[in-house]
Amino acid sequence: MTSGADIRAALGSDFAPSITPSLPRATPTQLSQAIPKNSSQPRRHKRNLLVARRGGKAVRWSYESTPVSSRRDQLQFRRWRRPKKDEEPEPFVKFAKYDVRAECPEYDAEIYEAHLTHADWTKDETDALIEAYSDSYGKWPIIVDRYDSGQPRTMEDLKARFYGVSATVLALTTPIHSMTGPQYTLYETLRNFDPAKEASRKKLAEGHLQRRQTEVDEETVLLGELQRIMINQANLDSEREDLRRRLDHPVAGSAGYQYHTSQALTQLWQQLLQTDRMKKNQRLRATGKLSCNNEAVSRHDANIASGNPVFDGLPGATPTSARPRDSIAGIPDSGAGSSRRPTRDSLPSATTPGSALPIDMSKADLERFGVVVAQDKTASGITFASDRLTKPRIAKSTLQTDKIATILTHAGVPDLIGLPTPKVIEQFDAIMAKVHTLLDMRKLAEKEEQEIRVRSAEAA
Amino acid sequence: MPAAPSKRVKGTQIRRHFLIGNTAHVLPHPGFPDPPPDGHTKGWTVYVRPLPNGPDITTWLKKVQFKLHHTYADASRTIEAPGPFEVSETGYGEFGVEIRLYFAQESGEKAVYREHYLVLAPYGPDDQRARQERENKIVAERLETIEFNEPTQEFFKTLTSEDQFNWLKVKKGRGKGKKPDYIFEGAVEPTAQLPEKAMDPGQAGAGGAWSVQYERQVLAQLQQSGATLDQMIEEEKRGMEERRRRLEELGVAIGAK
Repeated sequence: MTSGADIRAALGSDFAPSITPSLPRATPTQLSQAIPKNSSQPRRHKRNLLVARRGGKAVRWSYESTPVSSRRDQLQFRRWRRPKKDEEPEPFVKFAKYDVRAECPEYDAEIYEAHLTHADWTKDETDALIEAYSDSYGKWPIIVDRYDSGQPRTMEDLKARFYGVSATVLALTTPIHSMTGPQYTLYETLRNFDPAKEASRKKLAEGHLQRRQTEVDEETVLLGELQRIMINQANLDSEREDLRRRLDHPVAGSAGYQYHTSQALTQLWQQLLQTDRMKKNQRLRATGKLSCNNEAVSRHDANIASGNPVFDGLPGATPTSARPRDSIAGIPDSGAGSSRRPTRDSLPSATTPGSALPIDMSKADLERFGVVVAQDKTASGITFASDRLTKPRIAKSTLQTDKIATILTHAGVPDLIGLPTPKVIEQFDAIMAKVHTLLDMRKLAEKEEQEIRVRSAEAA
Repeated sequence: MPAAPSKRVKGTQIRRHFLIGNTAHVLPHPGFPDPPPDGHTKGWTVYVRPLPNGPDITTWLKKVQFKLHHTYADASRTIEAPGPFEVSETGYGEFGVEIRLYFAQESGEKAVYREHYLVLAPYGPDDQRARQERENKIVAERLETIEFNEPTQEFFKTLTSEDQFNWLKVKKGRGKGKKPDYIFEGAVEPTAQLPEKAMDPGQAGAGGAWSVQYERQVLAQLQQSGATLDQMIEEEKRGMEERRRRLEELGVAIGAK
């Protein structure tokens, strides 16, 4: 479709009376003659100019038929023309470039058979459609008007068929994967054409076009109402969301507090302990009171006859070989002056969980402080070693107790052993085991004596 | 208020030896009222003491209650740390003294009863009796070993503290702003273990008699007793064998009948 701007661009500067034949009715001869060629002057002076130039002599126009090259039917148009100058081309040549034919899909019978067959369309019908499209320059109202092959069809049917054929042919000529951007867009558009949707859209638009004023008003009111409802709904949603966020806050498991399981806490504790230990090791104290220590050690060793290789303060011992006694965090060194050994760091909680001993002390220290690492599990609480020397003597019955006491007295075990050391207890336990064996044997002996008496009576 | 439950040190036991006993003298004797109350012939002292070279007993023992015979005025005598945990009285008869031991608060342990039967008359073998009469001093004491099984951590700390031995040491070099140094000047390094040798055999009642030497004596005695028992068991076995034989004979006799 050509706009005025197009026309002007095509004519360019030679906007000349030579085009007047295209407007034959509206052009009086004089006027046409009066318009000067290549005149850049305003038209209101043309009369004067004409008079000045031509001297009132008229040009002869001829009424002749001219062929229109773009028409295939060779229809002859007759029109008024000025006498032709040699260099001036035929007017139709100038407009030939606007004769752009609509692009039609091209196919032959073979392709049709292979790809384009349709249950509702014969090949003739399809050919007719393509031809109509081509003849009508792709103007669909005209195509619908002109197309009369076979059964009557709507514009949407025609479009669907034509677009389908176009898309197929396009895909055939250019495979989809090698299509350029615009080509693919075109292909998609052609493929996605939906006749039913198009028909309904048109029907709707038509209905819209023929509404009455009351209907329009009603619709406006309804639309306003709908908009209000939508806005309210959105508000409600956002408020609800806000409330939910407030209710759910704080969200556990988020990055805020990472030590909420006991496992994590244990890990943290170990980490802290580790760092602290490393810190402390770097400033291992001199073991202090060296002379006193050595003296003490030598005496002590002589006493208990068991040397302690890692005893701190021994001349040969390297500082690092000292017990991990610096394991306690945060206990100030205040008491160290008065104590020759840093016993307070033997706090067991500070030992690593993996270590076998729950306490970090040298063997000598364990002995000195009377610490025994129990092999078997003991119930926590207080016990007296002397109880182990007295309690076994007491049986459930007084008779048995008396018997035990008799045996013990006979064996020369004192009633009161005043020295409940482990060795003594061990020995005493052995003795008690023997006592019990003896008691059992005596019981058995009594039974057997009884039996013997019965049997001897029987035998007699 | 009981101490807050503290974590216990698993798998450990701390042993402390101490003495429970009494000394007795025939009155009149210095240190006891003279003339003695009507009918009272003996003066005695019942006590709970640490070993002479051991750690401080007040580390774990905070209070001792002696329950005397109910005929005594104010029969329940309570001694608090630092002690000494002892009660001196005069009297004429022996009886069992109930001794209640209260422990340090951090131990989280309840008080425990022990009993000591007063010994006022000479006892033991003849030479011992003779000596007791000669010296007018009877010592009847026994070594107790208290075992703190799985002590609480705090208690463990105090029980393994070097300060426990300070009571045996001499303070030295109390400088300005400095803590006093404690120097031990005894011959034997203090320890919670029994001393190897009896420290001062002449001083009975001060706990000097308790030693590894004495332990050996006791052990030897027990071994002897054990041997005696073995002998008795052997005898029983022989008796059993004999009875079995007799039973068989009887069985044959019954069968023949």
